[in-house]
Amino acid sequence: MKRSTSMRLISTWIIACALVFLTSCKVQKEGLVVMTDESYKAVLFANNNKIKFGSPDGIVWHKGKLYFADEGGVALESWTKQDGLKTLIDSRFGTESPEDLVIDSQDNIFFTDDDAGGLWEFTANGTPRLVAGKDKGLISTEGIALAPDGSLLVGDGEQHEVFRVTRDGQVSEFLGKEYGITKPESMVFDDRGNLYIADNEDDVLYLLDGEKKLHRLVDRKDSFSPETIFYAKGSLYITDSHNNKLYVYTPNEELKTIAAFGGQLKNVQGVTLDDQGNIYLSIQTDLKRKVGAIIEISKENSEIAKK
Amino acid sequence: MRVELIWEANELVSAVVLSSILASLITTLADLNDRLLLGINGLAGRSWLFDSTVAFFRDNDLAKAGVIGCCFLAAWYGGKTTNGTTTRRKILIVGLIAAVCVIATTKVLSHTIFLPRPEIQSRKIYRLEGDQLVEMKRMPVRVPLDETSQKEYRALVNGDVETNDLGSFPSDHAGFFIAISLGIWLASRRLGLIALGWTILVILMGKMIGAQHTPLDIAAGAGVAIAEVTIIQYALRKRFSSWLDKLAGLTLSYSALSSALVFAVAFEVSSTMIHVRAFLGLLAAMRRHVLLGMS
Repeated sequence: MKRSTSMRLISTWIIACALVFLTSCKVQKEGLVVMTDESYKAVLFANNNKIKFGSPDGIVWHKGKLYFADEGGVALESWTKQDGLKTLIDSRFGTESPEDLVIDSQDNIFFTDDDAGGLWEFTANGTPRLVAGKDKGLISTEGIALAPDGSLLVGDGEQHEVFRVTRDGQVSEFLGKEYGITKPESMVFDDRGNLYIADNEDDVLYLLDGEKKLHRLVDRKDSFSPETIFYAKGSLYITDSHNNKLYVYTPNEELKTIAAFGGQLKNVQGVTLDDQGNIYLSIQTDLKRKVGAIIEISKENSEIAKK
Repeated sequence: MRVELIWEANELVSAVVLSSILASLITTLADLNDRLLLGINGLAGRSWLFDSTVAFFRDNDLAKAGVIGCCFLAAWYGGKTTNGTTTRRKILIVGLIAAVCVIATTKVLSHTIFLPRPEIQSRKIYRLEGDQLVEMKRMPVRVPLDETSQKEYRALVNGDVETNDLGSFPSDHAGFFIAISLGIWLASRRLGLIALGWTILVILMGKMIGAQHTPLDIAAGAGVAIAEVTIIQYALRKRFSSWLDKLAGLTLSYSALSSALVFAVAFEVSSTMIHVRAFLGLLAAMRRHVLLGMS
């Protein structure tokens, strides 16, 4: 009898501890955002409960719509508050791992795919098409930039080159292997026609000037690895998925950290800004299980910031 | 049947009551933890000399862990009889195994539970709670005046946050040094007390004064150490007693070789296994490079 009472007592304790453990599981699923620039605040703009996406990589705000290159969901998607999430292209069309995207002024959307390769387009009138595929030498496409002449620059991580692709699908070499860029993960033009290139394998941020001379802008292998870059209003916004940070780089100034991320939120990928200058980041919490989030980082109300 | 059901219902109710008591206890402990930390950290930032002395014993491997290494060596060689030396060595070998297990546990836990260092908590931090980011309560810690702490603080203000600084719970320093010190204490009470005293009063107190760890981090690290040292000492000495006897016997038979190895072990203990970790990092890089063909 005594033995069974003590056994029951032990089992009660085990259940109690299990309950405490279950409540503490909340802690294990935590994510952190450390605002190193305190003039900003962070908001969870979306997660899989709010918007039914998979796990987005590249993101772009364009004319009031947020577009996702949804790597986890294997789709190109758009979202507005009114219409919700819309799938524009999915795996049935042949995409495997949408990576990065750009949108031109006529609303044509172009995106890369690092598994299927190629350059893909979803035209303004809603037609999906493969602009140029693996057969034209685009094996593992990563970064993408819209050139001032209307062509597209596409980085290839396996061939360590940047290609120029015209709208009718002609592919030519833009930056060959001799430039030494290992993985052109992300690319963007500034307002002066300079091209910024993020290499997240060699962990270098390059600048290609108008004379096609390549400069190493930021090269700090131990603490910096650019993932995605986005240029807006004279500044370059950079995510770093290795060191879990968001930076802003302004020419002739130091690289400045805006925020550092931890836990579920550490894998920062895409970055874009809306018309009001708010920063949006895509987080790939778990790509295989299609878990992702979008974080909005915006300036605090100026009065509150002063306080 | 009915009695059984009543018993089960009673168990469930008791479990819920107990868990709510535990939950409120956790809140009280968290509050106490904050107060204790601010009290201890209140010593910092007042005197350059005091802060520099604390920082020296916190950051210098020889000053920090050299004493523990010396205690370990003294316990290793300090047996008065052959039997006594063998017994001590068995305890110390098991203690080392336990310390490695403890550091593995604390590392896994700190990568799972995200509690930033108190100095980081002095900044604006948002924590994911369900579907929203909630701003955390700030910890108004004092920054020590020594050069290293000031440099680190300036780096933090400039946005240089180390990933390691986002998971400080539990303290691996507390886990590792308390595990080693407990091993020494089990082998020799006097030397163990010196090692434990040095660990608590110099190493861990320095961590709290510098706002690198909260008392909760330290207590959790110590808890892991005590639990694992107890279990491993019991399990290994019960199940692998003959192996340990042989191993301890070999250290006596090949005393020159074992002395060299013990020196290496004590050296690593004194440097918080930094060289072993670097070596393991190299092995991992070699594996990636050679086997997987990655650059």
